[in-house]
Amino acid sequence: MSNQTQTGKVVPGRYLARTKPATRRFSGRLPSGFVWVLPLLLLVGLVFNLPLLMTAASSLVDQKTGAFTLGNFEQVAASKVYLPVVWRTIRIALVVSFACALIGYPLAYWMTRLSRRGQTVALAIIVTSFWVSILVRTYAWIVILGNSGIVNRFLMASGLTETPVEFLYNELGVAIGMINVLLPFMLLPLFAAMLQVDPRLRQIAFTMGASSFQFFWRVFFPLTLPALGATFILISILSLGFYITPAILGGGKVPLIANMLDILINQFPRWNLAAAISLVLLVLTVGLFVVYQHLRRVE
Amino acid sequence: MKNNLAVGLIAVAAASLSSTAMAEPAKVLRILTAGGEWTDAVQKCVDAPFTEKYGIKVELETPAGFAKLAGKNQAGNVDVALMDLETTELERAQASGMLDPIDWAAVAPFEMFPDAQKPYGFAHTYFSTIMAWRPDAKAPANWQEFFDTENFPGKRALPDYPGYVLAFAALADGVPPDELFPLDLDRAFKTLERVKGDVIWWSAGGQVAQLLDDNEAQYAIGWSGRIVNKDTLAHSFVGGMLETSWWGVPKGSDPAMQEAAMLYLHEYSDPEKQACVAQYISYTGPSPALDPLLPQDRLAQFPNYKANRDVQFVTDGKWWYDNADEVERRWQEFKLTQ
Repeated sequence: MSNQTQTGKVVPGRYLARTKPATRRFSGRLPSGFVWVLPLLLLVGLVFNLPLLMTAASSLVDQKTGAFTLGNFEQVAASKVYLPVVWRTIRIALVVSFACALIGYPLAYWMTRLSRRGQTVALAIIVTSFWVSILVRTYAWIVILGNSGIVNRFLMASGLTETPVEFLYNELGVAIGMINVLLPFMLLPLFAAMLQVDPRLRQIAFTMGASSFQFFWRVFFPLTLPALGATFILISILSLGFYITPAILGGGKVPLIANMLDILINQFPRWNLAAAISLVLLVLTVGLFVVYQHLRRVE
Repeated sequence: MKNNLAVGLIAVAAASLSSTAMAEPAKVLRILTAGGEWTDAVQKCVDAPFTEKYGIKVELETPAGFAKLAGKNQAGNVDVALMDLETTELERAQASGMLDPIDWAAVAPFEMFPDAQKPYGFAHTYFSTIMAWRPDAKAPANWQEFFDTENFPGKRALPDYPGYVLAFAALADGVPPDELFPLDLDRAFKTLERVKGDVIWWSAGGQVAQLLDDNEAQYAIGWSGRIVNKDTLAHSFVGGMLETSWWGVPKGSDPAMQEAAMLYLHEYSDPEKQACVAQYISYTGPSPALDPLLPQDRLAQFPNYKANRDVQFVTDGKWWYDNADEVERRWQEFKLTQ
């Protein structure tokens, strides 16, 4: 009873404190220090938002006549060529995100259990991979998984297979390459979120008689789930824009949206159609971003 | 005295001629070009001596392509005075009004093959698209065998460009070479549909030798200059496609820079310079005086060498231009839905 009255008192206060910035935003007064942000806003507006708007505008223009048209979007929707590539991109993005979560979560958890020095070493190893060019990292998979790569040579020498296993030049190869590139983006935020979990919770749970298993599934995992969800979305967003990996490890047979745009922009000059497809990609990405922001707030 | 007068008169005449005929050429010449080994060779053999002779700096933008030209044209920002074009692209760019004619009087070239001089095009390179394979794979004798994945097992590395693969695919389906154009797209795509499971598509010319050397592919179609000098690869010019690359002058580029471009073309027509390029990459230029200057032990590597020329076909740039939309539609359908 007393507990209830207590929260009854506290909540309005919190509520006010939280909504204050929001009401200020709508009152028309600019936050202090706005002037200092102005140059950056101008820069972003000029070199990013404006070209983006122009791309959006050109998606509504007929390439031949220059007149206003919805034809480019109709073409995207009606063609049996473009939408399947969009679906494939989404499918691979989901597969890659799932795989990153499956590999990344245990790895990040393991890192939290290391000594401080161990964590530093692990982090250093992960961060170093950022310094290696994505092109090199992608091509390296040919050395490992190619027909005469290390893995296939081992498999054939050990008699497990007679002909080389086809890891590359299909969706599997593309997914492997993408997971490799994206895993650090999963690891780092997850690791940070896991460190935020109060270590005393573990002791409390054990004091209350929980097993390690119970502590993990009933306390730790639920607490880190929003972070996992947010990074999952983050990986999906990043996956949508991959170009080099599908080009090299897909052997030109697994075109994703970016590769399709390359064909429409560089091989055949079909920019207005390409702009329409870009816009579809943008809407998709912004949609995912909204989910991401929502999850971050929960977190 | 008389001599001095004559020299003076010539100088005055030359000065007045040059002032009326041309303004001062620009100090920087920007060129849109292909990139890769060929461009590296041109930089050494043509660009560097050109800069030394005229004091004009050469700036390169790579890779080229009709889409880039069209982009610059649409943006109203044509910042290159020369660009590298394939025959089809030359046709297309000219028909779309995106090129200025070449001022052949200003170029005053060394002797060139007659078909190398067009109003809008300066033929700079003859190159071939040919078959290559690993020496440990069974050697194909023609395109039927090349695309016969049952009797000639292995992966095929094929160009990710319709213009460099469809003709061979049509030949493989039994189209007689003398009836190749107009190209039967149905028969070409029939072949590609049949073999697509065994194909790795490449987009950069250097990938061909890499994929074959790494044993990722056993057979390949590639550009001759990237293949013939590799000892580790077998190749054949039989049934190959002889093509010409052109220099063109994008319309709307700075007139002073175009002046510089004409000087550059003059230098490019010099057989010594073309022979120099051929040392680095086995492509030859438009000079009939080139043969004695070439490394004699490597003549069989050059696309335009008589014995090679006789077994190849010449692509029909006009047909590709006329059918660009249809090719584009069919190619996208094939490539994106597989």
